[in-house]
Amino acid sequence: MNFLLSLLPHLANGISLGLLFALIALGFMLIVGVMETINLAHGSLFALGMYFALFLVAPKLGMFPELQAWYMAFSIEARYLIALVLAPVFVGLFGMLLELCMRRTYGRDPLYGLLLTFGAALVIEEAIRLTWGSSEQQLVLPQAISGAFTVGGLLYSKYRLFASGFAILMILLLWVFLQKTPFGAIIKAGAHDSEMVRALGINLSRLRLFVFGLGVALAAISGVVMAPIWGIRPHVGVDAVVPAFLIIVLGGVGSLWGAVIAGLMVGMVVGITGAYASEWSLMSMYLLFIAVVTFRSRGLFGKKSVLDV
Amino acid sequence: MTSTTTSVQRRRLIQGAGATALGFLGPWNVHRAWAQSGAKKPLLIGLSTDDTGPYASSGQDEQRGILMAINEVNARGGVLGRRIETIHADTGGDAVQAAAVAQTMLAQKEVAFLLGGVHSGAANAISQVAQKYGCIYFNTNSSSPSEAGKDCHRTKFVWDGNGTNFSTSVVKGAMTGFGRDWLLLTSDYQWGHNTARGIRTLVEGNGGRIVEEMLVPQNTRDFSSQLQKIQQRKPGVIATAVGGEDLKVLREQVRKAGMDRSFGWINNQQDWPDVYGLGREAMFGIFGTTWYWGMRLPGIKEFVERYQRANPTYRIKVPGNVFYNGYMATHELFHAIERAGTTHNLKVIKELENLRIPAAKRMQHEDAYMNPLTHQLQQNIYIASYNSFPRESDDIFHILARLRPDEVEDTSSVQQCKLESFAATPSYEP
Repeated sequence: MNFLLSLLPHLANGISLGLLFALIALGFMLIVGVMETINLAHGSLFALGMYFALFLVAPKLGMFPELQAWYMAFSIEARYLIALVLAPVFVGLFGMLLELCMRRTYGRDPLYGLLLTFGAALVIEEAIRLTWGSSEQQLVLPQAISGAFTVGGLLYSKYRLFASGFAILMILLLWVFLQKTPFGAIIKAGAHDSEMVRALGINLSRLRLFVFGLGVALAAISGVVMAPIWGIRPHVGVDAVVPAFLIIVLGGVGSLWGAVIAGLMVGMVVGITGAYASEWSLMSMYLLFIAVVTFRSRGLFGKKSVLDV
Repeated sequence: MTSTTTSVQRRRLIQGAGATALGFLGPWNVHRAWAQSGAKKPLLIGLSTDDTGPYASSGQDEQRGILMAINEVNARGGVLGRRIETIHADTGGDAVQAAAVAQTMLAQKEVAFLLGGVHSGAANAISQVAQKYGCIYFNTNSSSPSEAGKDCHRTKFVWDGNGTNFSTSVVKGAMTGFGRDWLLLTSDYQWGHNTARGIRTLVEGNGGRIVEEMLVPQNTRDFSSQLQKIQQRKPGVIATAVGGEDLKVLREQVRKAGMDRSFGWINNQQDWPDVYGLGREAMFGIFGTTWYWGMRLPGIKEFVERYQRANPTYRIKVPGNVFYNGYMATHELFHAIERAGTTHNLKVIKELENLRIPAAKRMQHEDAYMNPLTHQLQQNIYIASYNSFPRESDDIFHILARLRPDEVEDTSSVQQCKLESFAATPSYEP
């Protein structure tokens, strides 16, 4: 009984961690599902979201000191909210530019798309390094979500609770968008059979542009949310892209709830091993992945391939 | 900048390493008398510092220190009348890459000396290659106790304080302030293990108790599970042997969870590039350091001014321990060559083994000396914490106490270190 009680905080922590993992993976999942393109720049765009948020929370406008003073007169709460909204918008627009560059790779060997996004990842990371420098930076937070609170004698981070709640909100919004709106239906149809969507007179190029922008904006949102937890560094995207890839394969490519459940599973496994066999915490997610994929190669909620008999 | 810094591409390094591996089987005991011979030929030094990886900030900082020392020496005519030139390749804080870098620098580029190292795995790999060639290697900033212990080499000299030195200095104080129950949070690789082992010995030797040791993989980005477990175990002190990017993430998460004030946190060492400019949030607990620019000692003011002239646009406005180690070590290499009157490796090694550096020259409180049995520089260790009353924005350390070199000496490394004999060390005169 005592053991079970002591396990509870770790289960709660695993859920919180899993929600954040799922948030990171969702944008990746959307792009892979609809465009059948693995966006290796996802991690760098995640990092770019962090840096845009950093700029929007505390801009350094050396040439425009009056503008900077005017902007900094806003409360930290307002600036944080602006960052949470505008950083994903800017990165999403940047993602759309990237998608325009990718169009020449459609219908060709998937390797071209991989190489292009890999190249983009390197360029973005170096651009970040040149613009913001290579040292670590920190995002200032509003007082309301800073500090800690106590539950059952244990201290918890207020921000982590906020981030988990925000992740739930984003997952639900994405689900509503995909399930309950006509545009969501088109995206799902595009993921299922893009040629049929085109035959129905829907502009497939525009659809891909929008989906890529949305997927990239989700990467940026997760970057903004994770910035206070992981810290802001030019190469932080590498830490995001590996679990994201693992989670969408584990959940089944193209499945939103698959990604969420896989994220939660990874979070729980990492959280519990982190507490009881800490040295296995990173390895545990790969072991879980191997265990699932060995018995179910298309992931937990992946559609059955036509090749499967 | 007067030195020639060349970046070597990784692929070429690996190809070069493979090609030279065959040549490596040759009679290297009689080798390299030809290498770089000739009057007044420039002396080529290989910089094996990190540009990328978990210690990128420190790697770049120590490189600046090494280059400033080289530029100063070149400005006064070089060493024994020979200009110093440099070649650099990024080791990435990775042992395999570091070994390939060292191999290429020695076999293809024929460097005279190798300088630089923050990651102990990488430094160890470099030193193994360097020893095979008889090349003097300076591990400038890696602080694993094994570097001057079981992994010591006749050709390797270690310039930073090691984990045991730092632990020794802080354990007693923390035991009094925070209690006898300690928990170790250890990075699961060589440096972490070695450092934690040293702390465990010290804690238990002083009547304390290790309630648990939690090993965390390198590149851990979420410490929430470990932090919850720590709260459940309720130790008085948490001693971390976590470095680089991992430490930054841990520190941030400890602070966000409000645990920085609930427990005694011990960090072995807090490298200046990792905390500079980040404010109070960047530091927690008490830690050791070998040097601080804010100490009121002769020479420091001038050193800071020289640093600022040499690095006018660098983000770090005052030098820290990592830069200092790189700079000081490089100067001592040149002084040893000048005292020996030759670049012959074995003669320079003997000079370095007998090295004693006056406190005034080191800008520390006591004389430093090289331990000839381990090749680690014995020096003052300062215990520090965040400075709540800074004189200026960069005055972020508060020096709590200092310990003499003999007080913090790592005696266990003397037993573990088995230096190769001079006869077994290839000789050369670059």
